[in-house]
Amino acid sequence: MTSIARKNLFEDIPRFLVAQAGIMFAVSLVTIQVGVFNGFSRSTGILIDRSAADIWVSSSDMVNLELTIPIPASHLALAQQVEGVERAEALLLGAGIWRSSEGDITTVRLFGFDPDGQLFASFPVMDGSLSDLKQPYTVITDKSNLDSLDVRQVGDTASMGSLAVTLVGLTEDTQSITSSAYLFSSLENVKAIATGGRSANLNCRLQNGEFFCMNVFGESPDENPAPTPLSATDPVTHVLIKAEPGTDLQELKQRLQQSLPNTYAFTRGEMAKRTRAYWVQRTGVGFILGLGAVVGMIVGSVIVGQILYSSVADHLKEYATLKAMGVSNRVVYSIIIQQALWMGVLGYIPSLALCIGLGFWTFATQGIMILITPLTAAGILGLTVFMCVGSALFAVQKVTRVDPAIVFKS
Amino acid sequence: MTATPISFQVSLPESTAKVFSQGCETTLDAFRTAGKAIVARGVEMIYQSGSQRFHALKHINLEVNKGDIHLLMGPSGSGKTTLLSILGGILTPTDGGICLLGQDITRMSQSQLSKFRLKNIGFIFQEFNLFPALTALENVALALDVKGIKGRAAKREAMGLLEQVGLANKAKSLPRDLSGGQKQRVAIARALSGNPQIIMADEPTAALDSQSGHAVITLLRQLAKEENRTVVMVTHDPRIIDVADRVTYLEDGILQNNPTAIHHQKLA
Ligand SMILES: Nc1ncnc2c1ncn2[C@@H]1O[C@H](COP(=O)(O)OP(=O)(O)OP(=O)(O)O)[C@@H](O)[C@H]1O
Ligand SMILES: [Mg+2]
Repeated sequence: MTSIARKNLFEDIPRFLVAQAGIMFAVSLVTIQVGVFNGFSRSTGILIDRSAADIWVSSSDMVNLELTIPIPASHLALAQQVEGVERAEALLLGAGIWRSSEGDITTVRLFGFDPDGQLFASFPVMDGSLSDLKQPYTVITDKSNLDSLDVRQVGDTASMGSLAVTLVGLTEDTQSITSSAYLFSSLENVKAIATGGRSANLNCRLQNGEFFCMNVFGESPDENPAPTPLSATDPVTHVLIKAEPGTDLQELKQRLQQSLPNTYAFTRGEMAKRTRAYWVQRTGVGFILGLGAVVGMIVGSVIVGQILYSSVADHLKEYATLKAMGVSNRVVYSIIIQQALWMGVLGYIPSLALCIGLGFWTFATQGIMILITPLTAAGILGLTVFMCVGSALFAVQKVTRVDPAIVFKS
Repeated sequence: MTATPISFQVSLPESTAKVFSQGCETTLDAFRTAGKAIVARGVEMIYQSGSQRFHALKHINLEVNKGDIHLLMGPSGSGKTTLLSILGGILTPTDGGICLLGQDITRMSQSQLSKFRLKNIGFIFQEFNLFPALTALENVALALDVKGIKGRAAKREAMGLLEQVGLANKAKSLPRDLSGGQKQRVAIARALSGNPQIIMADEPTAALDSQSGHAVITLLRQLAKEENRTVVMVTHDPRIIDVADRVTYLEDGILQNNPTAIHHQKLA
């Protein structure tokens, strides 16, 4: 029985190839949509995933990793006193405009951390090392940003505000595709770069019983003034916590929230989930990619259904012959469903290979990951089989209705 | 059996179909159907398509002896194919009863009927109806497979059947590479698979030239006789009458004669 399903399928090779092209189109479309979604979702929380912090403490207004209100650096010292905290480290986010040596500008997102710390940058650095960040105005970035930053290699410089900034290392798989290029540096450097090497003075005078204040920005006298360490009054963005072994993280979260006013504590997983949920929901990207996947499924089902239906129509007399011989409907259906399964599996395998290949290519060239996890692959196989068998059931009707008496008609 | 022949010499009453549909084992039928492979009583067939009604078979009473090669002949449109389909359990008559091998097939459910056909009837078609994607051997093996003989045993048995029809050397050929006569011999091998007691053939020689047609029918007769199988064959072809044991003529849906015993007359 297997052989008849297979042989009916391979009998007409051109038609089989058209069918396979259709299935591959559908499967690839679904895989790419799901893979891009996975890759997108993964990348938005990648820094959190890759951190070694058990808990992230942020402002109670925090929306996601990058969208939050600063908290005082003094929270760092408070956190260190909380029972169950082994280590606390500060993370300072900033933003800036990067001007390459060619003069092109692009926005960047700065992440300042302690290069000697353990909790944030637990990712490997190629072509350089984290300790290079102790030098003033040095940064590390993901190698996928080289193009957008318009730099070639480690050692290249650019300016941010009036400061000359040097690229001292490259990382891999640290960039969120929804954000500006991430630049990693020390807390001091980020603090200095974020203010752009400008000094700000508030000039106030009393006039008619009211204060008139004016912010006065001025170029610092030095070209690259030495960065200053973080003081207790400086803002930080997140406080990363490493818990003592055996500490209950939920309880530690509560203690941290109590000790650090106006903050909220999240486990690493919660923080990553919150950030991902923001990007997936607020951007509608999940909906759009999901829509693409559904369209792919529909297109695939129509193609498979069409091909199977016409194949069944072509072989109707054979199926009628089987029915006349006394073969039960169930057996006849199983032949058609086997055909559908063959089509599904033979369309799935090359499509998946194609998408994995495509994923490598897009990641290498665009930094966009098409993430096909084993679960995704299994799910898509299930969908493919569902799609093909569903279409087969549509074709099966034609056999159900066939009158075996047609076998005697020429 | 207490019935005596004399009491049943009269022609059958109109209500025969009713009596018959009680089963094949009534006293009447036990007497009348002894030695019969097929008994049809009061078969009516009315085709209904839309408002059009067509009375294709009118009160057919027919008996086919076990082991006979029985021909159904008549002009085009006379209802031969319709009658063969009904006798083979493929078409359900509007009225009447059909007894095959002692079983009333008009009282069976569709699935019982399917199983009955699978086990007891081999079909041969004018257009061969072989599976074009399968080789000669696979075509026969498929029929064995659906009858429950699977895998290597099916292949071995299929090869034996192809040998019987003289086509062992064409086992690996696809139908499109076989002549019409060869295709019909593959179809015969397929019809013989699973060793059914009844073979039903609708114009098996119509697509063949007269020489290979005759050869095919001679082969079919020989293979049927070896196992005492019953063959019902619709044909237009007067040249194969000499192969038959009996001939029944149909015209406008009405049986024209009691089966004529060809051989017996010729041999007598
Ligand atoms: N499905 C159907 N619906 C309506 N009428 C039908 C149908 N099948 C057959 N008929 C009619 O029944 C009559 C008998 O048809 P049948 O096919 O049994 O004839 P036949 O004797 O086999 O003819 P031929 O020798 O040409 O094959 C014909 O008049 C045909 O038009
Ligand atoms: Mg006919």
